[in-house]
Amino acid sequence: MADATATANPSGGFWHRLANPARFQRLAGWLTPWLAAAAVGLFAAGLYFGLYASPIDYQQKDNVRIMYVHVPAAWLAMMSYSTLAIAGFVLLVWRHPLADVAGVAAAPVGAAFTFLALVTGAIWGQPTWGTWWVWDARLTSVLILFFLFLGYIALRNAFDEPERAAKAAAILGLVGAVNLPIIKFSVDWWNTLHQPASVTRLGTPAIDPAMLRPLMLMAGAYMCLFTVLVLVRMRLELTRRRIDALQSARAGAIE
Amino acid sequence: MRSRKRQRLWLVSIGVLLLGGAAALALTAFEDNLVFFHSPSDLKAGKAEVGQLIRIGGLVEDGSIARQPGTAITAFRVTDGAATATVTYEGILPDLFREGQGVVVRGRLLADGAFQGVEVLAKHDENYMPPEVADALKKSGHWKMGEDAPPKGAGS
Amino acid sequence: MNGFFAVLGRDLAIARREGGEALLAVIFFILGTVLFPLGVGPDPQLLAAVAAGLIWVMALLATLLALDRLFQADWRDGALELMAISPESLTVIVAAKCLAHWLLTGLPMAVAAPLMALLLNLPPDGWLTLVAALLLGGPALSLIGAVCAALLVGARRGGVLMTLLALPLYIPTLIFGAGAVEAAVGGFDASAHLALLGATTLAAMALCPWAAAAALRHAME
Repeated sequence: MADATATANPSGGFWHRLANPARFQRLAGWLTPWLAAAAVGLFAAGLYFGLYASPIDYQQKDNVRIMYVHVPAAWLAMMSYSTLAIAGFVLLVWRHPLADVAGVAAAPVGAAFTFLALVTGAIWGQPTWGTWWVWDARLTSVLILFFLFLGYIALRNAFDEPERAAKAAAILGLVGAVNLPIIKFSVDWWNTLHQPASVTRLGTPAIDPAMLRPLMLMAGAYMCLFTVLVLVRMRLELTRRRIDALQSARAGAIE
Repeated sequence: MRSRKRQRLWLVSIGVLLLGGAAALALTAFEDNLVFFHSPSDLKAGKAEVGQLIRIGGLVEDGSIARQPGTAITAFRVTDGAATATVTYEGILPDLFREGQGVVVRGRLLADGAFQGVEVLAKHDENYMPPEVADALKKSGHWKMGEDAPPKGAGS
Repeated sequence: MNGFFAVLGRDLAIARREGGEALLAVIFFILGTVLFPLGVGPDPQLLAAVAAGLIWVMALLATLLALDRLFQADWRDGALELMAISPESLTVIVAAKCLAHWLLTGLPMAVAAPLMALLLNLPPDGWLTLVAALLLGGPALSLIGAVCAALLVGARRGGVLMTLLALPLYIPTLIFGAGAVEAAVGGFDASAHLALLGATTLAAMALCPWAAAAALRHAME
């Protein structure tokens, strides 16, 4: 299958070379501290602007500050699941060895971000809407996303053969991706209590620049945190597999 | 080999047809009212039965909020521009509840045409700005916030 | 297409030979629904308010009951391998097995639904919509479940995992299905909900047999 990888992969060189675990380990090891530093810096700036140096909202007053924690968490939840779906696709089509590792690494991180988005959303909803939770399309579809992450993690752990687990999880990741457009467009398709998109709508964002700044800083911080966590978990997983392989090789040698 | 190819072609075309049907059905559904809440116009048109638990949504009409002193009962009117519904509600209202604000009220239609709220939720829009900016926009007449607002309420 | 009917006939014949076992799902559906009036009390108003949701939730659970055996038995005795190497496309075979599953669970449940509606005091306005919704949405439940069952072939604790994988994917069907009945009971037009239910089923028909076949192929590698 190695030949297929080389010929079928259009952006060949770089991704192909990354398939070598040692090379990936080196690159990830070099990137991680830089990204971690960036995450710390962005979090500091984002929290400073978000909690202190930004104006209150004309309607929600100080409650608007929950947005700076909630909205990036929701974005990252969607991005994490997209990562699972893309990793699944890459695994099934090109059989790239890192795709499976990326899926293993990203799933619990994504579940955590989804949980954070749900919890901060409830905390934001209570004072502004007057309720912790409503069963409108946006909230329900994000809750489904959380269950999909849990299902993915459980499915990964349900098989004795790692090959089989990787492929089953890859297919589930692709099937669950149906939910992503539903989450994104639920606020436009249905009369939801949740408000429509502010930042990604066509034309100008509906957010004042002074509020957009902390939001974007926090989004950058979350992104860096996500990447750091995934890279660290990928390195751990690769090391764990290496240890497993060495141990079974030694067991074989003793026999 | 040839029949295998033909079979695959068949399967793919059936799949595309089914997906097309699904998309067409979904689109017709979205044209209909598949909603989290109904509008006061729906109530007026008699689309809800007395005593049935439903949600209505709209804007709180300007100057319609009346709090009964000494109780937690509030009466207000919800409007969608074309029709209004009178709502009474006993309980704590959310922070965002005010005149001109979008709300979703869950409750029952009473026999006299009034609506008894069980739960009041405030719907907020996707606009975020400091109060000074909002004031400046209002002053300069560029206030385009409630484009779904009733003609009278907007532009003020 | 011969393979399709052959597999369909085979699965139905096996079910017939097993006798009552194939109808366990329907019996579960009926018994489970009957438990609710005993549990929450016989207040007709209360029952009427929750009837649509209860019947749909029981339909989901009953569908799941028979699903984890959809491929497991064939996988164990090697029949699945034979199906995979047969000239018929595995996608078609999976579709046939889903149809057989629906004929044995979804269809009898839709037939039994008016009785459940009567026991739960669902207003008669909703009966026809309930049956229509179960008929429209039932195939989607079998098809989506088949994907999960295919993913879990050979897994440890397949039965428990089945619920964790399938139930979140069932939520849209549940929402549209119960929504249709509630709309009909409330005097609203249920056609939007039914259209979405139909769309879910059509999309499931297009994608699920294919995804399940892919999962099965990986399971047998």
